[in-house]
Amino acid sequence: MKPMLLAAGLAAAAGAAQADKLDDIIASGVLRCAVVLDFPPMGSRDADNNPVGFDVDYCNDLAAALGVTPEYVETPFPDRIPALVSGRADVGVASTSDTLERAKTIGFSIPYFAFTNVVLTRQDTGIASYEDLAGRTVGSVAGTFEGIALEEDVTEWGSGEFRPYQSQADVFLALSQGQIEATVVTNTVANAIIATGQYEGLTIAGDAPYLVDYVSLIALRNEEGLLDYLDLFVNQQVRTGRYQELYNLYVGEGPAPDLTIPGVYR
Amino acid sequence: MFEYTFQWRQAFRALPQMLEGALVTLQVAVLSMAMGVAIAVLLALMRNSSSPWLRAPATAWVEVARNTPALFQIYMAHFGLAGLGLYLDPFTALLAGITFNNAGYLCETFRGALRAIPGTQARAGRSLGMGAAQAFRLIVMPQMFRISFPPLTNQMVWAILMTSLGVTVGLATDLTGVTQDLNSRTFRTFELFALAAVLYYLIAKAVAGGARLLAWRLFRY
Repeated sequence: MKPMLLAAGLAAAAGAAQADKLDDIIASGVLRCAVVLDFPPMGSRDADNNPVGFDVDYCNDLAAALGVTPEYVETPFPDRIPALVSGRADVGVASTSDTLERAKTIGFSIPYFAFTNVVLTRQDTGIASYEDLAGRTVGSVAGTFEGIALEEDVTEWGSGEFRPYQSQADVFLALSQGQIEATVVTNTVANAIIATGQYEGLTIAGDAPYLVDYVSLIALRNEEGLLDYLDLFVNQQVRTGRYQELYNLYVGEGPAPDLTIPGVYR
Repeated sequence: MFEYTFQWRQAFRALPQMLEGALVTLQVAVLSMAMGVAIAVLLALMRNSSSPWLRAPATAWVEVARNTPALFQIYMAHFGLAGLGLYLDPFTALLAGITFNNAGYLCETFRGALRAIPGTQARAGRSLGMGAAQAFRLIVMPQMFRISFPPLTNQMVWAILMTSLGVTVGLATDLTGVTQDLNSRTFRTFELFALAAVLYYLIAKAVAGGARLLAWRLFRY
Protein backbone atom coordinates (compact mmCIF):
# COMPACT_ATOMS: atom_id res chain seq x y z
CA MET A 1 0.00 0.00 0.00
CA LYS A 2 2.73 2.37 0.99
CA PRO A 3 4.73 2.24 -2.27
CA MET A 4 1.51 2.96 -4.18
CA LEU A 5 0.80 6.00 -2.05
CA LEU A 6 4.33 7.18 -2.65
CA ALA A 7 3.94 6.68 -6.39
CA ALA A 8 0.65 8.60 -6.37
CA GLY A 9 2.30 11.39 -4.41
CA LEU A 10 5.18 11.56 -6.87
CA ALA A 11 2.83 11.67 -9.82
CA ALA A 12 0.93 14.53 -8.22
CA ALA A 13 4.16 16.39 -7.55
CA ALA A 14 5.33 15.84 -11.13
CA GLY A 15 1.96 17.05 -12.42
CA ALA A 16 2.24 20.22 -10.34
CA ALA A 17 5.77 20.86 -11.53
CA GLN A 18 4.63 20.72 -15.13
CA ALA A 19 1.90 23.34 -14.69
CA ASP A 20 2.82 26.11 -17.12
CA LYS A 21 2.02 29.82 -17.12
CA LEU A 22 -1.35 29.23 -18.77
CA ASP A 23 -2.30 26.83 -15.95
CA ASP A 24 -1.01 29.30 -13.37
CA ILE A 25 -3.14 32.11 -14.78
CA ILE A 26 -6.29 29.97 -14.86
CA ALA A 27 -5.61 28.62 -11.37
CA SER A 28 -4.88 32.04 -9.85
CA GLY A 29 -8.00 33.55 -11.40
CA VAL A 30 -6.11 36.73 -12.34
CA LEU A 31 -4.52 37.82 -15.61
CA ARG A 32 -1.89 40.50 -15.08
CA CYS A 33 -1.43 42.55 -18.27
CA ALA A 34 1.48 44.91 -18.78
CA VAL A 35 -0.05 47.97 -20.47
CA VAL A 36 1.36 51.35 -21.51
CA LEU A 37 -0.93 54.18 -20.42
CA ASP A 38 0.60 57.25 -22.08
CA PHE A 39 -0.02 55.99 -25.59
CA PRO A 40 -3.54 57.01 -26.63
CA PRO A 41 -5.75 55.61 -28.05
CA MET A 42 -4.09 52.25 -27.30
CA GLY A 43 -3.72 52.99 -23.62
CA SER A 44 -4.38 56.06 -21.48
CA ARG A 45 -6.29 57.14 -18.39
CA ASP A 46 -9.78 58.64 -18.39
CA ALA A 47 -10.95 61.62 -16.32
CA ASP A 48 -11.36 59.37 -13.27
CA ASN A 49 -7.82 58.02 -13.71
CA ASN A 50 -9.05 54.59 -14.82
CA PRO A 51 -7.09 52.80 -17.56
CA VAL A 52 -8.88 52.93 -20.91
CA GLY A 53 -8.00 52.21 -24.53
CA PHE A 54 -7.66 49.59 -27.19
CA ASP A 55 -5.00 47.62 -25.31
CA VAL A 56 -6.92 47.80 -22.04
CA ASP A 57 -10.05 46.36 -23.66
CA TYR A 58 -7.94 43.77 -25.46
CA CYS A 59 -6.66 42.66 -22.05
CA ASN A 60 -10.25 42.55 -20.74
CA ASP A 61 -11.30 40.34 -23.66
CA LEU A 62 -8.36 38.02 -23.10
CA ALA A 63 -9.17 37.73 -19.40
CA ALA A 64 -12.82 37.04 -20.23
CA ALA A 65 -11.78 34.29 -22.66
CA LEU A 66 -9.63 32.74 -19.94
CA GLY A 67 -12.41 33.12 -17.38
CA VAL A 68 -10.29 35.23 -15.02
CA THR A 69 -10.14 38.81 -13.73
CA PRO A 70 -7.89 41.30 -15.53
CA GLU A 71 -5.32 43.30 -13.61
CA TYR A 72 -3.32 46.11 -15.25
CA VAL A 73 0.36 46.59 -14.58
CA GLU A 74 1.27 50.02 -15.92
CA THR A 75 4.71 50.02 -17.53
CA PRO A 76 6.54 52.72 -19.48
CA PHE A 77 7.75 51.46 -22.88
CA PRO A 78 11.27 50.43 -21.83
CA ASP A 79 9.96 48.48 -18.82
CA ARG A 80 7.57 46.12 -20.57
CA ILE A 81 9.93 43.18 -20.79
CA PRO A 82 11.46 43.57 -17.33
CA ALA A 83 7.88 43.45 -15.99
CA LEU A 84 7.32 40.09 -17.68
CA VAL A 85 10.69 38.60 -16.86
CA SER A 86 10.56 39.55 -13.20
CA GLY A 87 7.10 38.01 -12.91
CA ARG A 88 5.16 41.23 -12.28
CA ALA A 89 2.96 40.62 -15.32
CA ASP A 90 1.82 37.53 -17.24
CA VAL A 91 1.19 39.02 -20.68
CA GLY A 92 2.18 42.27 -22.36
CA VAL A 93 -0.70 43.96 -24.19
CA ALA A 94 1.46 46.95 -24.96
CA SER A 95 1.76 47.60 -28.73
CA THR A 96 5.13 45.80 -28.89
CA SER A 97 6.80 45.76 -32.33
CA ASP A 98 7.88 42.24 -33.22
CA THR A 99 11.56 42.79 -34.11
CA LEU A 100 13.90 39.82 -34.55
CA GLU A 101 16.31 41.38 -32.08
CA ARG A 102 13.68 41.36 -29.34
CA ALA A 103 12.44 37.89 -30.28
CA LYS A 104 15.77 36.57 -29.01
CA THR A 105 14.59 37.55 -25.54
CA ILE A 106 10.82 37.45 -25.49
CA GLY A 107 8.03 35.46 -27.15
CA PHE A 108 5.66 37.17 -29.64
CA SER A 109 2.13 36.20 -30.66
CA ILE A 110 0.93 36.81 -34.21
CA PRO A 111 0.39 40.57 -34.84
CA TYR A 112 -2.74 42.00 -33.20
CA PHE A 113 -2.45 45.54 -34.58
CA ALA A 114 -0.49 47.45 -37.20
CA PHE A 115 0.64 51.06 -37.23
CA THR A 116 1.90 53.40 -39.88
CA ASN A 117 4.03 56.33 -38.77
CA VAL A 118 3.63 60.03 -39.41
CA VAL A 119 5.69 63.14 -38.81
CA LEU A 120 4.30 65.26 -35.98
CA THR A 121 5.58 68.83 -35.77
CA ARG A 122 4.56 72.37 -34.77
CA GLN A 123 3.00 74.66 -37.35
CA ASP A 124 5.85 77.19 -37.00
CA THR A 125 8.72 74.85 -37.94
CA GLY A 126 8.13 74.84 -41.71
CA ILE A 127 8.49 71.07 -41.83
CA ALA A 128 6.20 69.68 -44.49
CA SER A 129 7.46 66.16 -45.08
CA TYR A 130 9.75 63.49 -43.69
CA GLU A 131 12.64 64.67 -45.90
CA ASP A 132 12.52 68.08 -44.18
CA LEU A 133 13.63 66.43 -40.93
CA ALA A 134 17.24 66.21 -42.15
CA GLY A 135 19.42 68.51 -40.06
CA ARG A 136 16.73 69.19 -37.46
CA THR A 137 16.57 68.34 -33.78
CA VAL A 138 14.08 65.52 -33.49
CA GLY A 139 13.05 63.13 -30.74
CA SER A 140 11.02 60.08 -29.95
CA VAL A 141 10.45 57.51 -27.23
CA ALA A 142 13.63 55.53 -26.60
CA GLY A 143 13.74 52.14 -28.22
CA THR A 144 10.37 52.19 -29.97
CA PHE A 145 10.06 50.96 -33.56
CA GLU A 146 9.77 54.50 -34.92
CA GLY A 147 12.40 55.81 -32.49
CA ILE A 148 14.98 53.31 -33.71
CA ALA A 149 14.15 54.03 -37.37
CA LEU A 150 14.36 57.80 -36.87
CA GLU A 151 17.66 57.58 -34.97
CA GLU A 152 19.17 55.52 -37.78
CA ASP A 153 18.09 58.09 -40.37
CA VAL A 154 19.47 60.98 -38.29
CA THR A 155 22.80 59.14 -38.11
CA GLU A 156 22.68 58.61 -41.87
CA TRP A 157 21.88 62.29 -42.58
CA GLY A 158 24.95 63.19 -40.54
CA SER A 159 23.43 66.44 -39.26
CA GLY A 160 20.76 67.36 -36.74
CA GLU A 161 20.23 65.54 -33.47
CA PHE A 162 18.11 62.70 -32.13
CA ARG A 163 16.87 62.82 -28.53
CA PRO A 164 15.37 59.71 -26.95
CA TYR A 165 12.88 60.37 -24.16
CA GLN A 166 11.60 57.89 -21.62
CA SER A 167 7.90 58.40 -22.21
CA GLN A 168 5.52 59.60 -24.91
CA ALA A 169 4.34 62.39 -22.62
CA ASP A 170 7.89 63.82 -22.39
CA VAL A 171 8.19 63.77 -26.19
CA PHE A 172 5.00 65.81 -26.60
CA LEU A 173 6.13 68.23 -23.89
CA ALA A 174 9.53 68.65 -25.55
CA LEU A 175 7.85 69.17 -28.94
CA SER A 176 5.36 71.73 -27.71
CA GLN A 177 8.09 73.64 -25.83
CA GLY A 178 10.38 73.69 -28.84
CA GLN A 179 13.11 71.48 -27.38
CA ILE A 180 12.67 69.32 -30.46
CA GLU A 181 11.26 70.41 -33.80
CA ALA A 182 9.48 67.23 -34.76
CA THR A 183 8.86 63.64 -33.82
CA VAL A 184 7.75 60.55 -35.64
CA VAL A 185 4.84 58.76 -33.99
CA THR A 186 2.25 56.19 -34.90
CA ASN A 187 -0.67 57.67 -36.83
CA THR A 188 -3.16 56.77 -34.11
CA VAL A 189 -1.22 58.58 -31.39
CA ALA A 190 -0.73 61.66 -33.57
CA ASN A 191 -4.46 61.91 -34.27
CA ALA A 192 -5.38 61.29 -30.66
CA ILE A 193 -3.00 63.90 -29.26
CA ILE A 194 -4.13 66.57 -31.75
CA ALA A 195 -7.76 65.72 -30.99
CA THR A 196 -7.26 66.33 -27.26
CA GLY A 197 -6.10 69.92 -27.94
CA GLN A 198 -3.75 69.56 -24.98
CA TYR A 199 -0.81 70.94 -26.95
CA GLU A 200 -1.52 73.84 -29.28
CA GLY A 201 -0.15 74.22 -32.78
CA LEU A 202 0.72 70.59 -33.43
CA THR A 203 0.24 69.31 -36.94
CA ILE A 204 0.87 66.17 -38.98
CA ALA A 205 3.39 66.63 -41.81
CA GLY A 206 2.97 63.52 -43.92
CA ASP A 207 3.87 59.87 -43.57
CA ALA A 208 7.22 58.51 -42.47
CA PRO A 209 8.55 56.08 -45.07
CA TYR A 210 8.94 53.17 -42.69
CA LEU A 211 7.76 49.59 -42.99
CA VAL A 212 4.34 48.85 -41.48
CA ASP A 213 4.84 48.50 -37.73
CA TYR A 214 3.19 45.22 -36.74
CA VAL A 215 2.73 44.85 -33.00
CA SER A 216 2.17 41.66 -31.05
CA LEU A 217 1.18 40.42 -27.64
CA ILE A 218 4.20 39.29 -25.64
CA ALA A 219 4.85 36.56 -23.09
CA LEU A 220 7.89 34.70 -21.84
CA ARG A 221 9.66 32.97 -24.70
CA ASN A 222 9.51 29.50 -23.16
CA GLU A 223 5.75 29.58 -22.45
CA GLU A 224 4.68 27.74 -25.59
CA GLY A 225 1.24 26.93 -24.22
CA LEU A 226 0.43 30.54 -23.43
CA LEU A 227 1.86 31.82 -26.73
CA ASP A 228 -0.26 29.31 -28.67
CA TYR A 229 -3.31 30.49 -26.77
CA LEU A 230 -2.48 34.13 -27.59
CA ASP A 231 -2.16 33.30 -31.31
CA LEU A 232 -5.57 31.69 -31.34
CA PHE A 233 -7.03 34.54 -29.32
CA VAL A 234 -5.81 37.16 -31.80
CA ASN A 235 -7.19 35.07 -34.65
CA GLN A 236 -10.57 34.82 -32.87
CA GLN A 237 -10.69 38.56 -32.19
CA VAL A 238 -10.41 39.22 -35.94
CA ARG A 239 -12.73 36.36 -36.92
CA THR A 240 -15.52 37.45 -34.58
CA GLY A 241 -15.35 41.09 -35.66
CA ARG A 242 -14.29 42.24 -32.22
CA TYR A 243 -11.02 43.62 -33.64
CA GLN A 244 -12.94 45.86 -36.05
CA GLU A 245 -15.33 46.85 -33.27
CA LEU A 246 -12.49 47.94 -30.97
CA TYR A 247 -10.86 49.79 -33.86
CA ASN A 248 -14.02 51.77 -34.53
CA LEU A 249 -14.42 52.46 -30.83
CA TYR A 250 -10.94 53.79 -30.12
CA VAL A 251 -9.31 54.77 -33.42
CA GLY A 252 -12.16 55.77 -35.71
CA GLU A 253 -14.49 54.64 -38.46
CA GLY A 254 -13.02 52.72 -41.37
CA PRO A 255 -11.41 49.37 -41.98
CA ALA A 256 -9.02 48.21 -39.27
CA PRO A 257 -5.43 47.57 -40.48
CA ASP A 258 -4.83 44.29 -42.29
CA LEU A 259 -2.82 41.95 -40.08
CA THR A 260 -1.72 39.52 -42.80
CA ILE A 261 1.32 39.79 -45.00
CA PRO A 262 0.75 38.63 -48.56
CA GLY A 263 3.07 35.97 -49.93
CA VAL A 264 4.28 34.42 -46.69
CA TYR A 265 3.02 32.16 -43.89
CA ARG A 266 3.09 33.52 -40.34
CA MET B 1 12.70 34.30 -9.25
CA PHE B 2 13.83 35.00 -12.83
CA GLU B 3 12.16 33.08 -15.63
CA TYR B 4 14.96 34.06 -17.90
CA THR B 5 18.16 32.67 -19.37
CA PHE B 6 21.10 35.02 -19.05
CA GLN B 7 22.95 35.68 -22.33
CA TRP B 8 26.16 37.46 -21.56
CA ARG B 9 27.69 37.36 -25.02
CA GLN B 10 25.22 39.93 -26.35
CA ALA B 11 25.93 42.22 -23.41
CA PHE B 12 29.70 41.93 -23.73
CA ARG B 13 29.44 42.79 -27.41
CA ALA B 14 27.94 46.12 -26.31
CA LEU B 15 30.84 46.81 -23.94
CA PRO B 16 32.76 49.23 -26.23
CA GLN B 17 29.63 51.38 -26.62
CA MET B 18 29.09 51.32 -22.88
CA LEU B 19 32.67 52.33 -22.18
CA GLU B 20 32.22 55.34 -24.46
CA GLY B 21 29.11 56.13 -22.41
CA ALA B 22 31.16 55.80 -19.21
CA LEU B 23 33.54 58.44 -20.55
CA VAL B 24 30.65 60.89 -21.04
CA THR B 25 29.45 60.09 -17.52
CA LEU B 26 32.88 60.87 -16.12
CA GLN B 27 33.04 64.06 -18.18
CA VAL B 28 29.75 65.36 -16.78
CA ALA B 29 30.80 64.45 -13.24
CA VAL B 30 34.19 66.15 -13.47
CA LEU B 31 32.81 69.32 -15.10
CA SER B 32 29.97 69.57 -12.60
CA MET B 33 32.41 69.17 -9.71
CA ALA B 34 34.83 71.79 -11.03
CA MET B 35 32.06 74.33 -11.50
CA GLY B 36 30.32 73.21 -8.32
CA VAL B 37 33.43 73.82 -6.20
CA ALA B 38 33.95 77.30 -7.67
CA ILE B 39 30.34 78.30 -7.09
CA ALA B 40 30.30 76.70 -3.64
CA VAL B 41 33.30 78.75 -2.42
CA LEU B 42 31.48 81.86 -3.56
CA LEU B 43 28.23 80.76 -1.90
CA ALA B 44 30.05 79.95 1.35
CA LEU B 45 31.59 83.43 1.43
CA MET B 46 28.21 84.99 0.65
CA ARG B 47 26.53 83.04 3.45
CA ASN B 48 29.22 84.14 5.89
CA SER B 49 29.00 87.77 4.85
CA SER B 50 27.33 90.38 6.99
CA SER B 51 25.19 91.76 4.14
CA PRO B 52 21.68 90.28 3.97
CA TRP B 53 21.65 91.02 0.21
CA LEU B 54 24.48 88.52 -0.23
CA ARG B 55 23.26 86.06 2.39
CA ALA B 56 19.69 85.70 1.11
CA PRO B 57 20.35 84.45 -2.45
CA ALA B 58 23.07 82.07 -1.23
CA THR B 59 20.78 80.70 1.46
CA ALA B 60 17.97 80.24 -1.07
CA TRP B 61 20.30 78.34 -3.42
CA VAL B 62 21.49 76.03 -0.65
CA GLU B 63 17.97 75.43 0.66
CA VAL B 64 16.55 74.45 -2.74
CA ALA B 65 19.59 72.43 -3.80
CA ARG B 66 19.70 70.39 -0.63
CA ASN B 67 16.00 69.90 0.01
CA THR B 68 14.64 68.93 -3.41
CA PRO B 69 15.42 65.76 -5.38
CA ALA B 70 18.26 65.92 -7.92
CA LEU B 71 15.85 64.44 -10.47
CA PHE B 72 13.56 67.43 -10.00
CA GLN B 73 16.48 69.86 -10.40
CA ILE B 74 17.57 68.27 -13.68
CA TYR B 75 13.99 68.10 -14.95
CA MET B 76 13.56 71.81 -14.16
CA ALA B 77 16.78 72.65 -16.01
CA HIS B 78 15.46 70.94 -19.16
CA PHE B 79 11.66 71.32 -19.19
CA GLY B 80 11.25 74.07 -16.60
CA LEU B 81 13.64 76.58 -18.15
CA ALA B 82 12.30 75.76 -21.62
CA GLY B 83 8.90 76.90 -20.37
CA LEU B 84 10.56 80.28 -19.77
CA GLY B 85 12.12 80.27 -23.22
CA LEU B 86 15.62 79.13 -22.26
CA TYR B 87 16.52 75.95 -24.10
CA LEU B 88 19.20 73.70 -22.62
CA ASP B 89 20.07 70.57 -24.55
CA PRO B 90 20.03 67.33 -22.50
CA PHE B 91 23.78 67.36 -21.82
CA THR B 92 23.78 70.98 -20.63
CA ALA B 93 20.60 70.49 -18.62
CA LEU B 94 22.11 67.52 -16.81
CA LEU B 95 25.33 69.41 -16.21
CA ALA B 96 23.43 72.45 -14.91
CA GLY B 97 21.24 70.33 -12.65
CA ILE B 98 24.13 68.45 -11.05
CA THR B 99 26.27 71.58 -10.75
CA PHE B 100 23.40 73.30 -8.96
CA ASN B 101 23.10 70.34 -6.61
CA ASN B 102 26.86 70.04 -6.03
CA ALA B 103 27.24 73.73 -5.30
CA GLY B 104 24.47 73.62 -2.69
CA TYR B 105 25.96 70.68 -0.80
CA LEU B 106 29.58 71.78 -1.11
CA CYS B 107 28.74 75.27 0.15
CA GLU B 108 27.72 73.80 3.48
CA THR B 109 30.76 71.53 3.51
CA PHE B 110 33.04 74.52 2.99
CA ARG B 111 31.23 76.58 5.59
CA GLY B 112 31.78 73.81 8.09
CA ALA B 113 35.45 73.66 7.15
CA LEU B 114 35.82 77.44 7.50
CA ARG B 115 34.44 77.24 11.05
CA ALA B 116 37.04 74.66 11.93
CA ILE B 117 39.86 77.06 11.03
CA PRO B 118 40.78 79.31 13.97
CA GLY B 119 40.25 83.02 13.24
CA THR B 120 43.77 83.66 14.46
CA GLN B 121 45.13 82.11 11.26
CA ALA B 122 43.76 84.87 9.05
CA ARG B 123 44.74 87.50 11.62
CA ALA B 124 48.30 86.17 11.70
CA GLY B 125 48.41 86.56 7.93
CA ARG B 126 47.07 90.11 8.14
CA SER B 127 49.68 91.00 10.76
CA LEU B 128 52.35 89.92 8.28
CA GLY B 129 51.02 92.54 5.90
CA MET B 130 48.70 90.44 3.71
CA GLY B 131 45.45 91.89 2.41
CA ALA B 132 42.15 90.23 3.40
CA ALA B 133 41.80 88.51 0.04
CA GLN B 134 45.41 87.45 0.05
CA ALA B 135 45.13 85.99 3.53
CA PHE B 136 42.02 84.07 2.54
CA ARG B 137 43.56 82.74 -0.66
CA LEU B 138 46.96 81.79 0.76
CA ILE B 139 46.19 80.79 4.32
CA VAL B 140 42.52 80.00 4.88
CA MET B 141 41.52 78.41 1.57
CA PRO B 142 44.22 75.72 1.44
CA GLN B 143 43.24 74.65 4.96
CA MET B 144 39.58 74.70 3.99
CA PHE B 145 40.21 72.31 1.10
CA ARG B 146 42.32 70.07 3.30
CA ILE B 147 39.60 69.77 5.94
CA SER B 148 36.80 69.31 3.43
CA PHE B 149 38.64 66.91 1.13
CA PRO B 150 36.97 63.65 2.29
CA PRO B 151 33.40 65.01 1.94
CA LEU B 152 34.49 66.52 -1.39
CA THR B 153 35.36 63.03 -2.58
CA ASN B 154 31.97 61.80 -1.40
CA GLN B 155 30.24 64.50 -3.42
CA MET B 156 32.26 63.52 -6.50
CA VAL B 157 31.08 59.91 -6.22
CA TRP B 158 27.55 61.19 -5.69
CA ALA B 159 27.90 63.37 -8.82
CA ILE B 160 28.93 60.34 -10.87
CA LEU B 161 25.89 58.42 -9.71
CA MET B 162 23.58 61.41 -10.29
CA THR B 163 24.57 61.56 -13.97
CA SER B 164 22.40 58.49 -14.46
CA LEU B 165 19.38 60.81 -14.17
CA GLY B 166 20.25 62.40 -17.53
CA VAL B 167 18.22 59.69 -19.21
CA THR B 168 15.03 61.38 -17.98
CA VAL B 169 15.72 64.48 -20.08
CA GLY B 170 16.63 62.56 -23.22
CA LEU B 171 20.39 62.17 -22.85
CA ALA B 172 21.43 59.08 -24.80
CA THR B 173 25.21 59.30 -24.71
CA ASP B 174 26.06 58.72 -21.04
CA LEU B 175 26.39 55.26 -19.51
CA THR B 176 22.75 54.96 -18.45
CA GLY B 177 21.51 56.43 -21.74
CA VAL B 178 23.56 53.99 -23.79
CA THR B 179 22.42 51.11 -21.57
CA GLN B 180 18.75 52.09 -21.78
CA ASP B 181 19.01 52.42 -25.57
CA LEU B 182 20.61 48.98 -25.92
CA ASN B 183 18.02 47.62 -23.51
CA SER B 184 15.03 48.72 -25.54
CA ARG B 185 16.58 47.35 -28.71
CA THR B 186 17.46 43.93 -27.36
CA PHE B 187 15.43 43.61 -24.14
CA ARG B 188 18.53 42.05 -22.52
CA THR B 189 17.70 44.16 -19.49
CA PHE B 190 19.38 42.28 -16.68
CA GLU B 191 22.70 41.58 -18.38
CA LEU B 192 23.06 45.16 -19.63
CA PHE B 193 22.15 46.81 -16.35
CA ALA B 194 24.36 44.42 -14.39
CA LEU B 195 27.24 45.42 -16.65
CA ALA B 196 26.39 49.11 -16.20
CA ALA B 197 26.30 48.67 -12.43
CA VAL B 198 29.77 47.12 -12.49
CA LEU B 199 31.06 50.01 -14.61
CA TYR B 200 29.57 52.61 -12.24
CA TYR B 201 31.14 50.76 -9.32
CA LEU B 202 34.55 50.73 -11.00
CA ILE B 203 34.39 54.42 -11.91
CA ALA B 204 33.36 55.39 -8.38
CA LYS B 205 36.12 53.20 -6.91
CA ALA B 206 38.71 54.64 -9.28
CA VAL B 207 37.71 58.19 -8.39
CA ALA B 208 37.83 57.49 -4.65
CA GLY B 209 41.21 55.79 -5.02
CA GLY B 210 42.55 58.62 -7.17
CA ALA B 211 41.36 61.17 -4.64
CA ARG B 212 43.17 59.34 -1.85
CA LEU B 213 46.42 59.41 -3.81
CA LEU B 214 45.93 63.07 -4.61
CA ALA B 215 45.24 63.91 -0.95
CA TRP B 216 48.36 62.05 0.08
CA ARG B 217 50.43 64.14 -2.33
CA LEU B 218 48.75 67.48 -1.66
CA PHE B 219 48.06 67.51 2.03
CA ARG B 220 50.97 65.84 3.78
CA TYR B 221 52.59 67.90 6.48
